[in-house]
Formats: sequence, structure tokens, C-alpha cells
Amino acid sequence: MNQYDAVVIGAGNGGLVAAIRLLQGGLKTLVVEKHNLPGGFATSFRRGRFEFEASLHELNDFGTEDNKGDVRVLFDELGVTDKIEWLQIPEAYRVIVKSENLDAVMPFGKQAFIDQMEKYVPGSKKSIQHFFELAEEIRTAQAYTNKAGGKVESSYMVKNFPNYVKTGSYSVNEVLDALKMPKKAKDILNAYWCYLGADCDTLSFTHYASMVLRYITKGAAMPKMRSHEISLALVERIRELGGDIWFNVAAEKILTDKNGVSGVVLADGREIKTKYVIANCAPHLVFGKMLDNVSLKDIKATNARKFAGRGFSMFLGLNKSCDELGITNHNYFLYDTMDTAKQYELMKKIDTNYAQATVCLNRAYPECSPKGTTIMYFTTLYMSDDWGNVKPEDYFKVKDKVAKMMIERFEKDTGCNLRDHIEEISIATPMTYAHYCGHPEGVIYGYESQYWDGLNPRLLMMAQDHTIRGLRFAGGYSMRLSGYSSAYFSGDITGRQTVGDFKRGE
Amino acid sequence: MGYKFKKQIFGWMDLLRFKKLVPNREKHLSEGSEKPLPTSYKVNEVAAILHLGLQKATLTAIKEETKDTKAYTFELSLPMLFRAGQYVTLRKKIGDSLVNRPYGVASSPLESLHNKSLTLMIKKAGFFSDYLFDNAKVGDEFEIVGPSGFFYYEPLTDRKEVIAVAGGSGITPFLAMAKAIVEGQEDFHMTLLYGANKEEEIIAKDELDKLPQDKIKVVYVLANEEKKGYEHGFISAELINKYAPESYTLMFCGSDGMGKFLNGELKKLKGLHNFKSEKNAVGMRDVKPATYKLTVHINDQVYEVKASNNETLLVSMERAGLSVPSSCRAGGCGFCHSKLVSGKFSIAGADKRRLADVKFGYIHPCVTYPDSDMEIIVPQAK
Repeated sequence: MNQYDAVVIGAGNGGLVAAIRLLQGGLKTLVVEKHNLPGGFATSFRRGRFEFEASLHELNDFGTEDNKGDVRVLFDELGVTDKIEWLQIPEAYRVIVKSENLDAVMPFGKQAFIDQMEKYVPGSKKSIQHFFELAEEIRTAQAYTNKAGGKVESSYMVKNFPNYVKTGSYSVNEVLDALKMPKKAKDILNAYWCYLGADCDTLSFTHYASMVLRYITKGAAMPKMRSHEISLALVERIRELGGDIWFNVAAEKILTDKNGVSGVVLADGREIKTKYVIANCAPHLVFGKMLDNVSLKDIKATNARKFAGRGFSMFLGLNKSCDELGITNHNYFLYDTMDTAKQYELMKKIDTNYAQATVCLNRAYPECSPKGTTIMYFTTLYMSDDWGNVKPEDYFKVKDKVAKMMIERFEKDTGCNLRDHIEEISIATPMTYAHYCGHPEGVIYGYESQYWDGLNPRLLMMAQDHTIRGLRFAGGYSMRLSGYSSAYFSGDITGRQTVGDFKRGE
Repeated sequence: MGYKFKKQIFGWMDLLRFKKLVPNREKHLSEGSEKPLPTSYKVNEVAAILHLGLQKATLTAIKEETKDTKAYTFELSLPMLFRAGQYVTLRKKIGDSLVNRPYGVASSPLESLHNKSLTLMIKKAGFFSDYLFDNAKVGDEFEIVGPSGFFYYEPLTDRKEVIAVAGGSGITPFLAMAKAIVEGQEDFHMTLLYGANKEEEIIAKDELDKLPQDKIKVVYVLANEEKKGYEHGFISAELINKYAPESYTLMFCGSDGMGKFLNGELKKLKGLHNFKSEKNAVGMRDVKPATYKLTVHINDQVYEVKASNNETLLVSMERAGLSVPSSCRAGGCGFCHSKLVSGKFSIAGADKRRLADVKFGYIHPCVTYPDSDMEIIVPQAK
């Protein structure tokens, strides 16, 4: 069969969801994935007696049966929620900045969060309450914008969501300052910044506030069998709906004619006829390699964008329980400073990047590893292409050096001893991410959420960004930016848009 | 709605800024460089030599090491960056079968990185190695996939002092490690206890004898021969203790029998910090023979092949000439990850599948024997 209504290139989080939406819309759909597994970053791997989660720290906006988050609502609609066993993450986070004497553990639940903040920072209550009020309105406004496919009447927005519109052009810190939030409360509240990968002087407030709101009010979830369980559940659903999904099959070219997309050429030269492609990969790759005759406008627009963080993760299987090791929390943010712009600068270079977001999986799921053992994973981002300067002959040494820096940082900040209890270790560098997911420079966060290219302008410009008939994007580079929930939403949006295009014959 | 946000003196100024979001982004996008987009990135280039798919390789030299072991040197089409101790998969179409086998790399990491030269130590032990011994000649074309594997020195978990126990062609990963130490790619001290039946069975003795003694100490252990300058007997706890430093990492590569013996000795070792061993590929199963029908889906193609119950599904597919992915042939690497549609099966050794693979019915054909007719969905070979 060499003809499909739609082809999805890449079986990452966005591509898999998009495929289900296409199939639900009645389109005959093919998914091609370059790797032999689905999920992109959403996978797991085994070493010895441990099964490591490859990337998911905690799934935002999922919630529970009684308090559904938007991702759960989406998964219900896709028909996959019940294929997966879910766990709830016990608490929001612990943020430690030793040099600034900051060490705070924050809970989930809006009131609990406000109360805890008041304990750490007396007098912060009002500003945090206002933060949540703004965030609630932003969330409602975003739901409206999503539903309208980005085509919104500004007068309607101003009338119904004035706070959304008024905060919509400001950075996190600009708004928090306007709320007169005490510095220490700001520092604690900004701990999640590394999940979005832009510093709080540049990061759009609405983007950050809606993420924090979703974490704090809906909690965070985790599939028991790691994110691989979600990815396989999505594949299962694609096959149930009659979709085809081919692994180890790379798409080399997207063919176009005067009417837009006309087909896809696979690595072995095979040509698939289709009028609709959803690319779950970087526009840099699509416009740089996969399309011929790219317009100057698309080249300039793609060149203008800035890559966000390049990933590095270390996975440890430890031969002691977390109680024995003294690891008390599930989710740690360890920074050098809460001046996020300064921290961002430090994260540009391999030698100065000591920031980490670290998870002890056993604190959410004690049975995730054999009794008396612990699974931990540590992640950081590089805010420049410094790994591009690593010579191949130095690669393994640099990789081990960074892993050592991460262990030492954790030990110093928490007082735990990890080094003597490591049974299994695995390290993923930007090279690893570049290999498995094909992203340029090993980027794991898509395009950076800079002020001009943040969530709001991207959502408002979905129609303008659709420059080639039949070609839309899903995943971390697209309109919802990066992160698991965002990638799933991007697949939902772009899948439904493509169904609409197909039905209208556009 | 309670709180009303205001940043500027007048609320309308905040609105105006919002209205500028779209024109502002349009402006930025229109001001991007006109230069063609990059077609390559440095990180991705390094990734490409670390994680190589299938590549063509030409046999450039064959060296007889012992009666039953030869060193095959290949010229790669692409440079390769591997960690000493890893293996590659050698692949060739022989008759109607597409044969893949994992072989340890004996050459140094910088040799394949800078000179695209890779040496595999191959012992005459079965179908593919028989073919190589009898037919392979300089100039022949092969395909190589890899590197793969996790049997290497890990500076964060392993001790600076390593005792390496090798048996027969199990010397291969340690040869690469020794060379990597010499060229500065690895930083540890290795005491190599190398077991063979007789002196004439020692592989690469010329290379081993040339290694700098301050970094790598080589001790030959002969089981069936007593000779001056050689230890005699099995590699036992007693012998290891004789050479053991205060605290060390023990690495083992050798036959299953030797491994079993060594496992029994572990508790008698003094100063052992951690132990790691290389897993061997899965072979035949000893059961009453039966032949089943195996239906294989690869993309939109469907094949029916015969599957013998004493061979793995992977071998049956290869015999039928199907191009399917494989690497470790021990259930660990996941290259052959396939979806089970129907049928009963047994897994050789421990089940190394991911939890969700078990739940959703995925298998690794390289360690799976059929117990009935089966139907599976397999990715195409890369």
C-alpha cells in the first residue's frame, strides 16, 4: 500500500497523539518512526535488575479521576487512560540553593502551597494568592484559544480575560514584581523554571503560571511501567483504530507540488502518496533537509528561532534503599542561584553547569526497583552548543566528568552518599538524544520560549505558521512548546486541525 | 473575578503590549538569516560515529592467532567511536540466509576513530565462523552494525584497580581495553588473568607481551600444561587473591562453564568491590524437535517461515533470508523488539524485557523459542 490520507513522521509524544486524532477523524494513517521503539524520549531501558525511566520526571496536568487535568481528559478521549496504571507523585518539589541558604519543600494543592509558602516567607500570602488568580484566568483563556485554533477576537479576550491579556506580554519576574511578591517567595516559586528552559527574565509569565497552576492544583502523575507504558498504549490504540506504524523506517523527503504536500519518500526510496503530513520533528530538519524548494520566508523564519536546552541525564541504580541513603524527596531542583538569568549563563558551558533536576523514583513508587535498592535520575540542560566543541576522542571522558559533577553536587547539597552504592549507571548526553530522536545539537526542549517566541504568540500565530498546505508540526518545536503534556497537546491540536483540513479539502 | 492585574500606569498600555505580540513575532521571523539552514550539526556528527547503523566494511587482513581463532581486520566506510569492551554485529548474506553475529572488538578505539580500521577476534564455533574460516578472503565485503554493549570500564562505579579474568577468545574485550589504556582513552590499572588449556591456545600473545607492565599486568594461566613463567590450573579464588590489590573490580569474559566456576568462587574473594561479566549469545535449545509456522509482518509485507522449536525466532527468520534487526542476541539490547500477535513461546534465560513490553505483548526474537505456530510484527532491519 503506497497511499495514505495522512503520514505522521516520528512516533514521539506529539506524533502518536496526532495519529490517533487522525484515525478518529477517519483518515487512513501511517506513522513512520526512524527508531525501533515508539515514544521518542518517552521510553525506558533496562540495566541489570533496574528498569530506568528515560525522561519523564512527572506528568503535568493529568490529575485524578475526581480532579481531572487536561491531559487526562485528552487521554480519555483518545481511549488510552485505562490502558495505563497511574501513580500520583507525593509532593511538588524540594528546591535547594545552598549558597543562598534556600532549602524548601513544597506540597501539591493550592491552599497547602500558599500556607507552606507563608511559613517559609511570612507576608507572601497575598501575592501568591494573586498569582493563582492570574494563573486560573490564563488557563481558561488558553483553553479558549486552543479551542478556537488560535483565531481569537481580541475584543472578546479583553472583555473576558483581561488579566490574561494584560499579563500576556510580560516575563515571569516582571509580573511577580508587579504582584510585590517577596524575593524569597519568588525564588521558591520560580524553582520549576528549568522545566521550561528559559530564565524568568525572558520566560513568558502566562506560560509559566499555567504550568505551575496545573502542577499545584492537579498534582503530577507517573505511569507505573515508566513512560514506555504510555508510548506502547498509544501504539496499541493506533493499531486498534486500524492505523499502520512502521519502525526503523525514516522519512527522507516530503514531496510537494503546486498544491502543497504530495507525498513522503522513505529511506529505502519507497514513495508514499499522501496530501497531509504531520512532522513530529524539528522544522530545522524539515526545511533544512526534507523539503526541496523551501521559500525564503520559511528559511528566515526557521533561522530566526533559537534552540532551547540540550539534554544530559544520568541514571543510577543504587544498592541501598532510599531510607538508608537518606534520600527523603521525590523531586529535587538543585541550583547555584535563584537569579535564573545568572543560572542560565552558567548552564551554557559544560564546566560551569552544576544545575540539576533530580528524581528518586522510589519516593513515588517504592516497588519500582527490588527491595533494598533505589532508582534515581538526574537531568540538566545546556543553554549553548558546548557539546559541539567536544572532540570525539574526549567524548567518554567528558561524559564521565559531568556525571561525576552531578553526583558530587547532589551529595554536597543533600548530605547523602551515593558514590559508594552505585550498582548500575547509564548516561545520556546531547549525542545520545541526537541519536535516538534526531534533534539538532541534542536539543530536548525544542525552540526556546523567548519573550517574542513564547507560548502566546505561537498560539496566536498557528494559522500564519501553517505555510505549506498539508504540512503541520507536532512535538516540542511546535505551538505548545516542549514537555510531555505540551507535546501531547500539540499532537491533539495538529491532528484535529489536519482532520479539518482534510474534510474541507484544504 | 477579584484581582485586577496592572503593570503599567494605565491598563491600556498592558493591552497594547499584548496586541504587539503577533506583529513582534512576525517581525523577528522575517528578520532571520537568509543563509541556507544547516544540514548537519557537530553533536549529531559525533552521535553518528557513536551509534552507527549498518555500514559496509571490507576485509583487509586475516591473522591466524591459534588453531581455532583468527583476527579479522576490516576497513570501515565510516569512522567509529566505541568504548573498549563493546562489540559489533557482523553481517553477511550466505546462501539464502542473512547471518548476523556479535563479535568483540580487539582493536583500539582510536584505530577505528582515526583510521577506520576494526579488528574482530573470531573463534571457530558455528555456522558463521565456519563460513569465515573456510571462505572469507581479503577484499570481501561485509556489513557491520554497532558498536553495542555495556561491558566496559565505568569510572564512577568501578575501582581504579581491575582484575580481568579471560578465557579463550574472551580475551577480546580486554585486548581493546589494554590498548585503550595505552593510548589514554581509559584510565585504570588492569591485572589480566588469562586462562587457556595450553600455551599454544593463547590468543594475541605477541600483543599482550608488548603491553607496558606498569599499567597492565598479564598473567597466563594454563589448565593442562605446567610451564615456567605461567600459572597452572583454573582461575580460582586462591589465584585471584594472590594477585588482588586491596579493593578492585572484577571483570569476566569467557565460556559459560568458566563463568559458572568463577561465580562459585566469588564469595571467597578478598577485596572484591564489584563484579561484571559479559553475556554470551543464546544458542540452541535442547527439546524434542518440532517445526512450527511463523508468520512475520515487516511493515506491510507478510512472510511465512518455518520455525524450529530448538532455535530462536531470530535464527528462523535469518534462515529464511528475512532482513530483521538484531545485535546482542542475548535479549538485552532491544534491537529486535517485536510485537507478538499470537502464539506460545519460551524465553531463554532471564526475562530481560521491560515491564510494559510484557504487559503489551512484545518479545525479543533473539531469545525466544516457539512453542506453537506464531505470528509477530518485526521492525525492518535498519
